[in-house]
Amino acid sequence: MLRTVNRVLIGLVGLVLLVVGGAVLAVGLGLNPPSWWIHDGKKDVLLSDAERTRWDGEGWWWPTVIAALALVVLLTLWWLTAVLRRRRLTEVRVNTGDGEGALLRGRALEAVLAGDAGQLDGVQRAQVGLKGRPDAPETHVRLHLEPHVDPGTALNTLTEEALAHARNSAGLDSLPAEVRMTAVKHKAERVS
Amino acid sequence: MSELQGSEGTTQRLPVIEKAPDQRDQSASAAAYGPPPVLEGGAGGGARRFWSARRIPAAIVALLLLLVAGIFLYDIAAVRADRPAMHWRRELARQLAEPPLDDTWVLVGAGVAAALGLWLIVLAATPGLRGVLPMSRTHPDVRAGLHRDAAAMVLRDRAMEVAGVQSARVRMRRKKADVRAVSHFRELDDVRADLDVTLTEAITALGLARPPALSVHVARTTRKKG
Repeated sequence: MLRTVNRVLIGLVGLVLLVVGGAVLAVGLGLNPPSWWIHDGKKDVLLSDAERTRWDGEGWWWPTVIAALALVVLLTLWWLTAVLRRRRLTEVRVNTGDGEGALLRGRALEAVLAGDAGQLDGVQRAQVGLKGRPDAPETHVRLHLEPHVDPGTALNTLTEEALAHARNSAGLDSLPAEVRMTAVKHKAERVS
Repeated sequence: MSELQGSEGTTQRLPVIEKAPDQRDQSASAAAYGPPPVLEGGAGGGARRFWSARRIPAAIVALLLLLVAGIFLYDIAAVRADRPAMHWRRELARQLAEPPLDDTWVLVGAGVAAALGLWLIVLAATPGLRGVLPMSRTHPDVRAGLHRDAAAMVLRDRAMEVAGVQSARVRMRRKKADVRAVSHFRELDDVRADLDVTLTEAITALGLARPPALSVHVARTTRKKG
């Protein structure tokens, strides 16, 4: 969700910059603008006093400007906090099967999953984060692989052991996971 | 199997296609030997690139917009409340109204703004995360990516196991693995043939959705061994 918002807003800002900058550049380099365009030749200025104060006397102008700026401030404030806040799932709702539910602390599930994944063959360290909603959690896993293991095999054991275990123990229908694998840095060993 | 399906009491239907149990068996038995077979249904989906959230550019753009809008809002509100406008705003109005469009600095500014805009559009439209290679899906719930450095390191380790290879360097690109090995004994052709076989296997074992093409170069070490 946030990814889409980020990309749309970045794209919009980019588009505005590109259009304004490109138009000024084109007119300034001698291109003839159409008659309705704000600049009418390369001797024109960016924003003349007459253009700037065009609606100065009207009653609606300043309230509109202030309202628009306030809106922009609020929106960017919301955007900035949404980007900066790292949302972590604090609780997972466990379906116990008897009509009642239980709450599992997100950190506990993260710790168990990270411990499980860290025990797997060829995994030196695993970091786990939970996201999503309490009744539909998702997980992000980062594995640091040791040299001897094949990444495909490591992914397979992770899926079949650690992730399946976590999914079953929390009673979840599905536990979508995003896995990133990196390698532990090491020197090449010479075989001769 | 039992781990995946749960114990008797909490047996759950997993959201997978009907033939899942067969594939489980296969992949479980194959797990000991090599990479798992790829889920047919998920193969196409697994090939999708990872898309970056673009957090840092978003934070910078949001912060700049917030600052600019905030300062303008403050000053305009202050003027409405019958205080004098801040000096910079009169200066800005003068700067906007005086130089003509073909003034060098106006052109430079416009060029910078257009380039910045183009860059932001590129950021918004491209996936990013070029360092993460998508792996093929072995389970519908699991999306995995392998960092290019890690893939290169695995290939280098496998190359070093070939007899006659003294050192190996791997440049992993998104569609091609470029392996340069230095050999200190055996015929170069033999070494290259062995490297080809070993590395092809190693690339399969990486479990990537789109396995990179392999190119192997073998050179003789410059110092002859006495």
